Amino acid sequence: MSLTDLIYLSQKSLRSNILRSVLTSLGIIIGVSSVITMISIGSGARQEVEEQIERFGSNNLIVRSQSSSSRGVSMGANSVNTLTLKDMEALKEELPAISAIAPRVSLSTQIVANGNNWLTSVTGTTNDHFNLSNWNFELGRKFQEDELNKGSRVAVIGKTVQKNLFGTDSPIDEVIRINKVPFTIIGLLEAKGGTVWADLDDTIVVPLKTAKQRLVGKKFPGDQIRSMTINVSSTELLFKTEKDIDTVMRKLHKISANGNPDFVIRNYAQFLNARQESSRVMSILLATVAGISLIVGGIGIMNIMLVTVTERTKEIGVCMSVGAKKRDILLQFLIESLMISLIGGCIGIALGLGVIFGVSEYFNWKMSLDYISLVLSFVFSSSIGIIFGFYPARKAANLNPIDALRYE
Amino acid sequence: MIKINSLSKEYIMGDNKLLAINNVDVLIKEGEFVSVMGSSGSGKSTLMNIIGCLDTPSSGDYFFKDNNISSLNSNKLAELRNKEIGFVFQNFNLLPRLNALENVVLPLLYSGKNSKERNKLALNALESVGLKDRTHHRPNQLSGGQQQRVSIARAIAGTPKLILADEPTGALDSTTSLEIMKIINELNSKGITIILVTHEDDIAKHASRIIKMKDGKIIEDKKNVSN
Repeated sequence: MSLTDLIYLSQKSLRSNILRSVLTSLGIIIGVSSVITMISIGSGARQEVEEQIERFGSNNLIVRSQSSSSRGVSMGANSVNTLTLKDMEALKEELPAISAIAPRVSLSTQIVANGNNWLTSVTGTTNDHFNLSNWNFELGRKFQEDELNKGSRVAVIGKTVQKNLFGTDSPIDEVIRINKVPFTIIGLLEAKGGTVWADLDDTIVVPLKTAKQRLVGKKFPGDQIRSMTINVSSTELLFKTEKDIDTVMRKLHKISANGNPDFVIRNYAQFLNARQESSRVMSILLATVAGISLIVGGIGIMNIMLVTVTERTKEIGVCMSVGAKKRDILLQFLIESLMISLIGGCIGIALGLGVIFGVSEYFNWKMSLDYISLVLSFVFSSSIGIIFGFYPARKAANLNPIDALRYE
Repeated sequence: MIKINSLSKEYIMGDNKLLAINNVDVLIKEGEFVSVMGSSGSGKSTLMNIIGCLDTPSSGDYFFKDNNISSLNSNKLAELRNKEIGFVFQNFNLLPRLNALENVVLPLLYSGKNSKERNKLALNALESVGLKDRTHHRPNQLSGGQQQRVSIARAIAGTPKLILADEPTGALDSTTSLEIMKIINELNSKGITIILVTHEDDIAKHASRIIKMKDGKIIEDKKNVSN
C-alpha cells in the first residue's frame, strides 16, 4: 500500500469528523504557536540588544561621578563632580587597553532660535564623543582643533532639536542661544531613534572648553567633569579594563579597596545583558507553556485515537478480511495521528505568526522570525503525532481479525 | 483445494470449554459449490472463519492448496486472504466513508497494484455485478441488494479462487436474494469455488453439495441431486 493511498484513506476518516479532528489538534495548535512566539521573542530581544550595543557604541564603559556617602551624608547625584580631566589623563596613561576617552559636562537648559523655545540637554565634550557613540553627521562637520582649543561658540545639534527649532530647514550656520549665549550651528547629527528610556536625538553638543567657559563654569569649576565614555580596544578586555579602571580610580581618589567609591562604572554590555536575561525568563515561561500543551495535546491525540480504534474495530476487521496486514493497519492509524498533529502544527504556525505580527505592531516590540522555529515546530508536532499515535495504532494492528470482524 | 483433517476449535468462556468444532474432516475440490447448513451454534460460521484464514484451529490440520495453514504467520494469512479468498458477509461490511468503487478497490490497495490496474479490475468487478452506474455512490446511498452486490464485487476484484459467503441473503428480501444467488451461481460457473453458509433450504439448494452441521460435527454431507 503506497503512502498516497494511506494519506487518502486517512484524510477520508479525518474529514468525516472534522470538529473532532480540530479539537484534538487544539493542544498542538497552542503548543506550536507558543513555540514560535517564544523563539521570536527570544531572538527579537537578542537582536534589539545587539542593535543597541551598536547604537551606544560597542566596547564602551561609562565612568560617572557619584556623591560619596562615606561621611554618612548623601549629597545627591548631581551635587558633586568628583571626576576631573586629570583622572582622564591618568587613566589614558596607565591603561593601554583604553583606546579613547570622551569627557562630558552637561546641563539642561532652554534653547532659543528662530523665535522658538526648546528645553534640551547640552553636552560639552570632544570629537571623541561622536566617534565612541557611533554618531554620524547628516549635515556639517565635527569640531575643528582650534575650535576645541579656543572654546569657540559652535554647536552640533541632534535631529529632535532641529525638528523643534527649524522644522525641516537646514540648521547649518544658524545661530541658537543657549543660556542667552549665541552659538553657530556647524553640524546636524543623523537620527538614532529613541530607546525605552530617552530620545537620543534630543541633544546639543558643544566643545568642552566652551561649555566650561560659557555655560557650566559654576557647576563644573576647574577641570571637573560629569562623566567620561571610555572605549576599550577589544571586547575581551572589557571586563578586565572595568576592574583596572576601578583600581586606578581608587588610587587617584585615595579610596581603599573596600571603601565607598565616589564614582560609578557603567558597562552597557552588562546592562543590556540584563535586559536580555529578562526576555529569556519570558521565553522560559513560554517554553513551559509550549511544552505542557504539546504533551497534553499529544495525550489528547492518543485518547482520541484510542476511541477511534475502538469505534472502527469492525472496519479494521473488514480491512483485515480483505487482506490488510498488521503493518497496513499500523501505518494507517499512525498516519492519521500524524496528520492530526501536522494540521495542528500548521494552524499553530499560522496562529503564532498572527500573534507575532500583532504583538510587534501593537506593542512595538521587536520580534524576529527565523526559519529554524518553523522547522522546529514541524519536527515537534510530527514527533508528538508519531509518539502518541503509536500505542493506539499498535493496538489496532494487533487485533485478531475474527474478533474485530465480530465486534459490535 | 481444501483438506481438513480431524479439526477442532474450542473456546474458553469463563470456566466452560465450548467445543465449536469437534473433530471434523472435510475435502472440498476446486470448482465445487458447497452449502454449509445448520442452526445457530452448530459451528458452521466457525468452520467458515477457519477456512477463510480469519481464525485458527485449536487442533487438527487445514491444508489450503496443499499449504498447511497452521504454519503460516499473520502476514502470510493476510496475503492468502487478499489473493485467494473473497468474503461476502450477511451485513455487507462495506466501509461507510468510501464510495462503491473505493470499497471494491480496497483489497487491491493491500495487494500493491498500481492505481490504473486497480481501477480497471474494480470497474470490471462492478460491471459484472451490474453496478457500473453506481460507482460513486456511498453505501448509505445504495439499497441492500446493491450493497451486497458491491461487496461481491469487492470479493471478486482480486480474482480469488474461493468465495466464502456467510448468510449473503440473510438481510435481503426474497427477490433480491434470488438476484444475489444468480450472481453467485454465475461466479461458480466461471470456476470459482463457493462455500456458502446459510440456514435457509431455499438458498442452500443452489449448491451442488450440502453439508449439514450440528453441535460442531458434520451430520450429513451429500450431493444435491435436485440441482
